Amino acid sequence: MEAFNGASPLSRALVDRLRQEYEKVVTSCQEKIQHWKKVESDYEALQDQLHTLPNKLSYDIMVPFGPLAFMPGKLLHTNEVTVLLGDNWFSKCSTKQAVELVEHRRKYVRKVLDDLQKVMKNFESRAEFKDLQKMSDAAGDFVDIREEIEDHSIETKEKYGTAHKAHSKPKLSNVFEVDFPMNGSDTKFMGHFQSEEELWAHLEELERQELLGELDRMPNTVETNEEDTSSSEEKEDKRTDLNGMYRAEDCITQGDFHKEVTNSDLFGGQVNGSTFYHSDDEDDIDIGDNSVPTIFFSHTVEPKRVRINTGKNTTLKFSEKKEEAKRKRQNSSGIGHATPELPNIKTPADFYRVFVDIVNGEYVPRKSILKSRSKENSVCSNTSDNSAAEFDDRRGVQRSISCDEATQSDNSESILEEEEAEGQQQLPKKLPSSSGTTEAFSGTVIGKESLSPSLIPHPVIAHPVLPTILEQKSEEVLSKASEETPNRISKFKAARMQQPS
Amino acid sequence: MAGREVRQEEREEGARLRHKEELSRKIKEQKVVVDELSNLKKNRKVYKQQPNSNIFFLVDRTETLSQCKNTLDELKKAHQEMENSEKTKIEK
Repeated sequence: MEAFNGASPLSRALVDRLRQEYEKVVTSCQEKIQHWKKVESDYEALQDQLHTLPNKLSYDIMVPFGPLAFMPGKLLHTNEVTVLLGDNWFSKCSTKQAVELVEHRRKYVRKVLDDLQKVMKNFESRAEFKDLQKMSDAAGDFVDIREEIEDHSIETKEKYGTAHKAHSKPKLSNVFEVDFPMNGSDTKFMGHFQSEEELWAHLEELERQELLGELDRMPNTVETNEEDTSSSEEKEDKRTDLNGMYRAEDCITQGDFHKEVTNSDLFGGQVNGSTFYHSDDEDDIDIGDNSVPTIFFSHTVEPKRVRINTGKNTTLKFSEKKEEAKRKRQNSSGIGHATPELPNIKTPADFYRVFVDIVNGEYVPRKSILKSRSKENSVCSNTSDNSAAEFDDRRGVQRSISCDEATQSDNSESILEEEEAEGQQQLPKKLPSSSGTTEAFSGTVIGKESLSPSLIPHPVIAHPVLPTILEQKSEEVLSKASEETPNRISKFKAARMQQPS
Repeated sequence: MAGREVRQEEREEGARLRHKEELSRKIKEQKVVVDELSNLKKNRKVYKQQPNSNIFFLVDRTETLSQCKNTLDELKKAHQEMENSEKTKIEK
């Protein structure tokens, strides 16, 4: 704010200069237009002459003798015309053909004239706009492109600051109050202050609509007639906070400044929300709970279609199952997330907590979804070395030791149980210790035991956090070695051995 | 707002002045042409220049005279209209 205020005298000079440049462009355009108009009139005269030329067999003319002298003479062959095609190439045509050529050139000239006219108009309007901005600068308020914004530029900037923060609701009220002294002369504020609740309701509704994608810019701009040009400009700057604010103000009300303030906040939040839509996680804008747009990050519950060639099913099903199981555990145990559906993420650590399981009070990363769960001869696309994969898998399990997965209850697959067993038996080993290069089978095989499902590490979906990296190293294994034996056994044999048990 | 309007008016006035000057210049030219044509002897040939070139076509004197007179009248009319519009604006 202050920076802007301090810069306004400077910007005034710049604005003046810009305006001058615009006017220069306008004058040059006018000159060009004049020139092209003359050209067009010349062509028109020529066309007329060509039309009438074949009417007579010969004409009495004054033949130019050099630049200053003339001789009376006759013009013969009135139908033969040599036309310059450019680059000193000429073509002999009849007058009719020449007329067509001339018409074609006139068409081009008209097009050029039209373009120049458009450009001139454009720059004229820009110059006028700049005048307005200059005046706004002189008035002392922060300037926006639009005329209506004179009083509220300051508020919008503040709003921007609040709207872009999550859970910015508590600040909003402060901003509201700040606005009043700044716009003390604006009586509309006082009047609308009474209807704050209405405004909040309106805000929420708009947020809802925005989320649904129904609230398009078009209906909003229809509301305000005079702001179309500026709003279109603002559309381009969707990510610019200021413009987002202005757009909110622009499209929401007609002169209702108070509402503009609230809705600008709304739009700021929505702008942020829209930007977040591009991220991998799901962003939920809390519209129901607060009237202030609050953005929550949540883990995408949509299962990713990762194809693993398992014997039975695809990963998709698997991950869906896992997600449901996880949710059930969450709901039943109440561990993990604040909201029943979405985790309350405020810090990066929250991400980690969402995507890892808790075993014995410690965080253990979940197993990657790329790892097959089926016990049968699952064909791992990445597996080149079965034994190595086997070991990697075991290592992955070892990493997941002491992960008390209270949230996973439905892991009926034996692979998970195998992991549990391994995890249990390798309790002392920690996560980072097994991070490293993929090594050959160490020779320890953990026997399968029936354990509580809570111990199963849950590699549902690939997480972006630390566990994923580790799991990637053991990614080659898609089938689990159920037992750990001192001897090397193939994973298929292990699976077979697992199955009966 | 006022500044913008002022600037617009200035531009408009400038355009009007330019247009007015051109118009008066053309009117003078046409007057000269008409006078010259009317002062010609009957046996004189009149040639009209082809635009943008040095070729002159023989034309009928009387015909050309009437054409030039018409042009002059039109220019005078346009000039008059401009003056009238300016007066009305000033009155407003």
